[in-house]
Amino acid sequence: MAILNKLALGALMLGTAFGTSSTFAADQTITTVVKLAGETWFTRMEQGVKEYGEKTEGVAATQVGPGKADAAQQERLIEDLIAKKVDAIAVVPFDPPMLEGVLKRAMDRGIKVMTHEANNLKNTMVDMEAFDNAAFGAHFNDQLAKCMGEKGTWTSFVGSLGSLTHVQWADASAANAEAKYPGMKLVSPKNESFNDANTAYNKTKELLKKYPDLKGIEGGSAVDPIGIGRAIEEAGLTGKICVYGIGMPKDTSRWLQSGAVTGISLWDPKDAGFVMNKIAKMLIDGQEFKDGMDLGVPGYTNMQLKQGPGKGIILTGQAWIDVNKDNLDKYDF
Amino acid sequence: MDRQLNFLVAVNALVLLAAVAIAGTDFAGIYNLQSMAVQVPELGLLAIGVTLTMISGNGGIDLSGIAVANLAGIVAALTVPLWISADDSPMTYAFVFAAACLAVGLLCGLVNGFLVSRASLTPIIATLGTSLAYTGLSVVLTNGSGVRLGYIEPLDNFGHMPILGIPMCFAVFIVLAVIVGCVLRFSPFGMRLYMLGSNAKAARFAGFNQIRLLMVTYTLSSLFASVAGFIIAARISSVKWDYGTSYVLIAILITVMAGVRPSGGYGKITCVVLSAVALQMLSSMFNFLNISNFFRDFAWGLLLLIFLWVSGIDLRTLFALRPRAGS
Repeated sequence: MAILNKLALGALMLGTAFGTSSTFAADQTITTVVKLAGETWFTRMEQGVKEYGEKTEGVAATQVGPGKADAAQQERLIEDLIAKKVDAIAVVPFDPPMLEGVLKRAMDRGIKVMTHEANNLKNTMVDMEAFDNAAFGAHFNDQLAKCMGEKGTWTSFVGSLGSLTHVQWADASAANAEAKYPGMKLVSPKNESFNDANTAYNKTKELLKKYPDLKGIEGGSAVDPIGIGRAIEEAGLTGKICVYGIGMPKDTSRWLQSGAVTGISLWDPKDAGFVMNKIAKMLIDGQEFKDGMDLGVPGYTNMQLKQGPGKGIILTGQAWIDVNKDNLDKYDF
Repeated sequence: MDRQLNFLVAVNALVLLAAVAIAGTDFAGIYNLQSMAVQVPELGLLAIGVTLTMISGNGGIDLSGIAVANLAGIVAALTVPLWISADDSPMTYAFVFAAACLAVGLLCGLVNGFLVSRASLTPIIATLGTSLAYTGLSVVLTNGSGVRLGYIEPLDNFGHMPILGIPMCFAVFIVLAVIVGCVLRFSPFGMRLYMLGSNAKAARFAGFNQIRLLMVTYTLSSLFASVAGFIIAARISSVKWDYGTSYVLIAILITVMAGVRPSGGYGKITCVVLSAVALQMLSSMFNFLNISNFFRDFAWGLLLLIFLWVSGIDLRTLFALRPRAGS
């Protein structure tokens, strides 16, 4: 029958599509689940995951992530990993509360669970944070203060007022300035850029008009410095206004080189991926976590241990790196 | 002429066999079968909603499914705790939660139905509009953040606990599917809906109450979406406005792959269920094999193309809104 022939052919096509994959056996499987596959940040993280797998005997470390930025897709991915019964999962949650249920089931089935950037998550054994958000915010402010000569007006940006970490950084910066630098005057804090460089650009232009004596700007979202830098360059104020913020070296390089953006800080996702897998492996091996422990990666050498909101613990490093035009070429992401 | 059904059964069998062959027998183990079964209902219910509206013809479609589901879950999660404590009477809580979800679904469905039937808006535009409105309402209600339900035993059980090996939410999905299937096949409502979709003019001359038919159809679609919303809330024990944003297109994919005719007048619920199950197995298999999720999208597209080829759907019907007699 014609239909059967077509069906057989169809099956063949599907078969070849699947044929390329192979199963491999290793003693322990650690799967890293990221927010979104194919994003620059997580592509860089995958390098760290792979590096850990290569360096560690008897561990198969892989990274997966949904193809669409949707909490539902990430949840389903983890659901399948539980059924597959990997030994450990290391998750960067798209939206931590949405994963409470599925991570609890993972642990119920004996899978070790560690998370990153989710210090409000209850159902995790270890949550790893690259740094303390308050300390990071203060660090921004110290850099800014040094550049501004500890005096003058300054302002700050956040992705949105709903972005918890951005608001924490901005608030910590403000508190730091108030405590340490009486000469600095904060005006119109926490401008929302809605994670859009163009909005940051327009807001900066407005701010420059409103506060002609503006001497410093802090960006909150990773794209803020791009918009701020562009506005400053166009206004011919390059070098006259200090700009610090979180950002990606490659995306921001043009403005760092011109001097419109003074410096960016970030944590390296590659190191985070490596450390996440190391912690997952320690969970599998039943090793103990101690305050002040050294995980062998710069910035993660003195982990602060703290009780999390659930039964798990939170390990916090000091893993920020400062990038400016002098060391820019060291970071290829 | 049941090519769709044969094709879908064959695809299901093939995917299962391929998965067991490549990913190992764990894939057909009871835990994974249950895990997959738990994941099917939310998408399956949305697809049934899309199916009903597609059958009604004249470009019928419901894009607001996941928006209704999220709004239902959010409204229930925000209001129910005001009346009933989940700790003191968890069972009542669960039932009132479900009722609240359904009530929201009913309201949303009536709005959709009104816009499509009385206001005669093009369904794709009307439901796109309401989808944005419902999503917006969800954002306003929650300030854009998620609402946690915490661990509520009856809800959690509904989301996962198998009874006689079958997870409860999957059982509910199947029961609902069987009911819709029977209604479409045997009731006057079903007959009229197919006729309306095949030839709206003839239906009008035959004296069908078109407005009421469309009203009921779109309301049913949203009701199914609100059941999906309840299942989502039960399964992941929190609700958020942007959960499942990718579901809109997947639900349509399931529907089209089930052979439901986009121009209306034809569609089988059995096929929709099989189509949803096939996509789930394919997706789980890729996750078992650590295959990139982008490849999964590619495979789904490929599967759809193969399907269109095998079932010999006349592609012109996809684009022509002009009603034509069933083939």
